[in-house]
Amino acid sequence: MELKMIETLRRINRIVALLVGFGLLACAAFILADIIMRQVGTSFGGTEEIAGYTMALATSWGMAFTLLELGHVRIDLLRTKFQTFGRALFDVFSMVVMSAVIVTIAIKAWPVVERSITNSSRANTPLETPLALVQLPWFAGWVWFAVVSCLTTLAALGLLLKRRHEETENFVGAFAEQDTLQ
Amino acid sequence: MIGYVSVGLLGLLALSIPVGIVLFLLGFGIDTFFSSFPLTRGLGNMVWSSSNSATLIAIPFFVLLGEILVRSGVATRTYAALDRWVSWLPGGLIHANVATATMFSATSGSSVATAATVATVAMPQAEKLGYDPKLFSGAIAAGGTLGIMIPPSINLIVYGFLTQSSIPQLFLAGLVPGLALALAFLAVTAIICTIRPELGGQRRTFPFPQMLRALIDLIPIIILFGLIVGSIYRGWATPTEAAAVGVAGAFIIALAFGGVSWDMLIQSLTGTVKITSMIMLIVIGASFLNFTLASAGLGRELTEFMNGLGLTPLKTILVVVVLYIVLGFFIETLSLMVVTIPIIVPLVVAQGYDVIWFGILMIVLIEMALITPPVGLNLYVVQGARNSGSLNEVMLGALPYCLTMLGMAFLLIAFPQIALWLPQLLQ
Repeated sequence: MELKMIETLRRINRIVALLVGFGLLACAAFILADIIMRQVGTSFGGTEEIAGYTMALATSWGMAFTLLELGHVRIDLLRTKFQTFGRALFDVFSMVVMSAVIVTIAIKAWPVVERSITNSSRANTPLETPLALVQLPWFAGWVWFAVVSCLTTLAALGLLLKRRHEETENFVGAFAEQDTLQ
Repeated sequence: MIGYVSVGLLGLLALSIPVGIVLFLLGFGIDTFFSSFPLTRGLGNMVWSSSNSATLIAIPFFVLLGEILVRSGVATRTYAALDRWVSWLPGGLIHANVATATMFSATSGSSVATAATVATVAMPQAEKLGYDPKLFSGAIAAGGTLGIMIPPSINLIVYGFLTQSSIPQLFLAGLVPGLALALAFLAVTAIICTIRPELGGQRRTFPFPQMLRALIDLIPIIILFGLIVGSIYRGWATPTEAAAVGVAGAFIIALAFGGVSWDMLIQSLTGTVKITSMIMLIVIGASFLNFTLASAGLGRELTEFMNGLGLTPLKTILVVVVLYIVLGFFIETLSLMVVTIPIIVPLVVAQGYDVIWFGILMIVLIEMALITPPVGLNLYVVQGARNSGSLNEVMLGALPYCLTMLGMAFLLIAFPQIALWLPQLLQ
């Protein structure tokens, strides 16, 4: 059951990551178009602002994908000295800590959005973007990261209690950058 | 507070908690134990303002640029072309390793990606042509580290962002030391292979028409580099805009070489998202820790600490160098850089050193960290691309280059102008 859930989460996150990727691509195209337009004397204006929003959204929504692809850097010098059970303990412990921190971030992110909604804040820029419009999806991204990280922790904990700890390596193990960059 | 942060940092990292999360935890700790007003209330705003950044979006763009070039087969052509040009030197193909790594550094912002690319292309050649695997693989691991020095460099963007210094200036400052290091790597290879010819393979010369034809494969990369770096220095574009131009350029090159497919696009995009989030979790964590440290009065404490030690500026820098070498055995590039910036940079700047210059010195030192065991990511990347032999061979082979970098670090300390000359010239 745990592994099935992780598989589902992974599949969803791959789609999310692809959407984020295309968002970044669209932003690059937009910036490019603006550079070209500047050469002929006009400009869309506000590319800086849109680039910033894109980055904030890409960051919050990409986090959960990176988590399940074992992308978040860990120093596993001590961890590698242990057998599978010891490693699983390290992994589950670091997932518990991580989930707690991410949940805290998600909770503390809400007041930022709330203030923008209650004050109908607009960005202090030429575009005067209503901030809630960008901050709501940004906040949702952190909530998604918190949810995925809690579910992942539960899955790993469940497998650990069932003494199937060798199966946790695949989704909470230490990162393997060299596999992904080739 | 300095002691708390240092001990907490190393302890939590050793527990293999993700680096970004460790930085948040330390920030929470500072808030609880050292601050009279609640700093965690600012957490949401910190996370928002440090990721809502038009500067940092240059990171995913440069990563994407590298991913496109790597996955479209441009590397193979570059390697073959450079082989035609540099393999007549003593050491043969090893020079092509360094040269290819240098060229890819100039376009991609990542050291690991550079090493991985060159390793996959070069390793089969080594076996075919009977090279000594030690120096051959060591040269790839070392050459790959240039990716974070020669602009565009993701690490320099992060450094500029966290220390609020000019990224174009940092890029300019990295250019001369980066190229000098590449030349030094070539020279070291040639010297070693002249003294011990059995370490290199056969030297090869190619007829001139073949060399000319190979140039065609190099021109696109050179133009791309010129486009990115040139547009920043001419003031046409910000680093972010130049990165967007670079992405477009990489696409055009990949199209021209016939390397674009739906699969390749998907892999490049998801790969970019993964690396970007990995970097951003650390950057946001560092921003938060920076904020708590500054609010809790780190500056004053650092000054007192340094006065207590009574070190001269030069001695301070030497202590910092030793610190990076020691930490570099265990912690990797970006993490090492980001976790040390909040404490080390204010300390060094307070001693009267230039923040741009120190950025470049720090890059040389964390480049070394990439190829020093037991934790040296580039060593593992190169080892991963080999079919036989032990990791020790790669480590041993990287050693001469490691010493070259140390030499570079001392040169930078003795002659800061190596880094500062170009930015001052163009200011």
